[in-house]
Amino acid sequence: MNLLAHGLGGVRDLPVPESLFFTTAAIVLVVSFVLLGALWRRPLLDRHDEGQRLAGVLQAVLLSRALRIVLGALSVALLVLAMATALLGTTLELLNFAPTFVYVIFWLGLPLLSVLLGDVWRVLSPWRAIADATVWAIERTGRVAGPVLDSPWRYGRYPAAVALFAFVALELAHPRPAYPRTLGVAIALYSYWALAGMAVFGRDSWTKGGEGFAVAFSILSRIAPFAVRDGAIVVRWPFTGLAGAERVPGTLVFVAVLLGSTSFDGFSRSTTWQNLLGDVRANVADESQWVVDLATTFVSVVGLAVFVGAVVFTYLVAVSSARLLVHAPRSLASEFVLPLVPIALAYLVAHYFSLFLIQGQFIFTLVSDPFGRGRDLFGTVDFAPNLAIVSPETVWYVQVAALVVGHVAGLAIAHDRAVSLFENRRDALRSQYPMLGLMVLYTVGGLWLLSQG
Amino acid sequence: MPVRRLSIVFCATAALLVVGFLLTSCGGNDDARTTIETTTRTQPTISTTTDTTTTTTTTTPVVDQPTIVRVGVVGGAPQGGIVRQTVRKGDRVQLIVTSDVADHVHLHGYDITRSVAAGETARIRFEATVPGRFEVELEDRGAQIADLTVRP
Repeated sequence: MNLLAHGLGGVRDLPVPESLFFTTAAIVLVVSFVLLGALWRRPLLDRHDEGQRLAGVLQAVLLSRALRIVLGALSVALLVLAMATALLGTTLELLNFAPTFVYVIFWLGLPLLSVLLGDVWRVLSPWRAIADATVWAIERTGRVAGPVLDSPWRYGRYPAAVALFAFVALELAHPRPAYPRTLGVAIALYSYWALAGMAVFGRDSWTKGGEGFAVAFSILSRIAPFAVRDGAIVVRWPFTGLAGAERVPGTLVFVAVLLGSTSFDGFSRSTTWQNLLGDVRANVADESQWVVDLATTFVSVVGLAVFVGAVVFTYLVAVSSARLLVHAPRSLASEFVLPLVPIALAYLVAHYFSLFLIQGQFIFTLVSDPFGRGRDLFGTVDFAPNLAIVSPETVWYVQVAALVVGHVAGLAIAHDRAVSLFENRRDALRSQYPMLGLMVLYTVGGLWLLSQG
Repeated sequence: MPVRRLSIVFCATAALLVVGFLLTSCGGNDDARTTIETTTRTQPTISTTTDTTTTTTTTTPVVDQPTIVRVGVVGGAPQGGIVRQTVRKGDRVQLIVTSDVADHVHLHGYDITRSVAAGETARIRFEATVPGRFEVELEDRGAQIADLTVRP
């Protein structure tokens, strides 16, 4: 059972044909591009990134040790609960707490929280909390707690990209991703990855480059209007955190995994893909079930990798053409990575917000009976989710709006980078033609995928 | 502990977890087969929740004949590709799946599951009360066989 297929599909009675949406979206992008070129002549984002400090009382409460300990304990408790229900609870996916919690509440809720409130994962990560507590306990006994390896981190964000790819492969390519036992061992495996990594390379290095979720949420939180600077919380304009270049190796691949996986999820629900999987199944129909599963999983992982690769490839083509157009002395590949972040967010919203609103409601019944044993701990088992909370038309309009806004934001951030990078205004504009092409391609491609799904 | 012994411990733990993951990935099937019948038991009924929100549009449809959607499954895949069908909200629908393999037919969204034995036919009758696009799947194989659209 694909838990993720439980969101409302994309039925809609559109007043106009879908192709008109594609054209309109493309025109909106081109017009924004022209306006950006005419009106946005100096870099703006960097100047507003500093932000203003929050009031002292708020600072003291939000950054307090007590809050950190309470939140840490709570998140460790949730991790234990998710693992326990997955390993010991009912094997019925929708009656078990773990699948809905992991795939809907955690994986869709935290990106949203990060975009709205900043890098909250720093205090919400159960693995970081466990590591911090361990270090605290070791240091209390008077010993020194250091990582196993002392060498500086030189792997960029590649390990995190691998971790995230493993997670999205479980979510999108595994034959039964929501089967509680599988999910339980997967949680254990990831916890091991997170904890062992911190033990070997150090807490901060691993959080910045190895723990996939930490990197994902931290990158998305650069959109947020809140950030921590020099130990103080600042309020700033949204999106200003995306100014500048991103030179940490592996960031492009990481963002591509984020983007490619969401678009592959849309594509994998299209009839084209389902028929292809059907053909694969028909070819190995005489074999035993695990051979069939292996074959479809393999094909899906390849499909996923192709989508991720396509994002990397199209981006590199765009920045190389930009380099040729302005005769730049060195590669521009690290200059325009961050404009892809709002697009990743747009894809997340477009593909998953209906699932989040609909399937997310089931968490209220699930917390009362997390193991699916017929309990009613909080009296919420009879809570009847409103499955008609969003109409199919609303879903479609939110999807279109998210994609267009996300890509215009991407275009604007890239433009801001260009005007700060090139002295000559002509060069700044010319470097952005390929970016415009890339954005139009992504928008129309994204809308097409959504209309298929 | 010296680094070498430590790295052996780290790798062994990782290997153990990976093996466990692979085992549960394969093992999931039989369990799901035996217990899936009960999914319909506690799933909240869709009709009650939607009726309250869309009372204005329920003008008692006078449709007598249900729309019949036929799917033939050969070797775990739908004959002639995924069957597409569009109905109007309020229509009664009968889904008839004839399969040469044993599996469970699952209508997503409405969350109705029926088991089907090899060479037999499964029937799902329901009233299309919720608009949307819904997958019909062979549950154990995770193979989509039909695509049902309910127009508002």
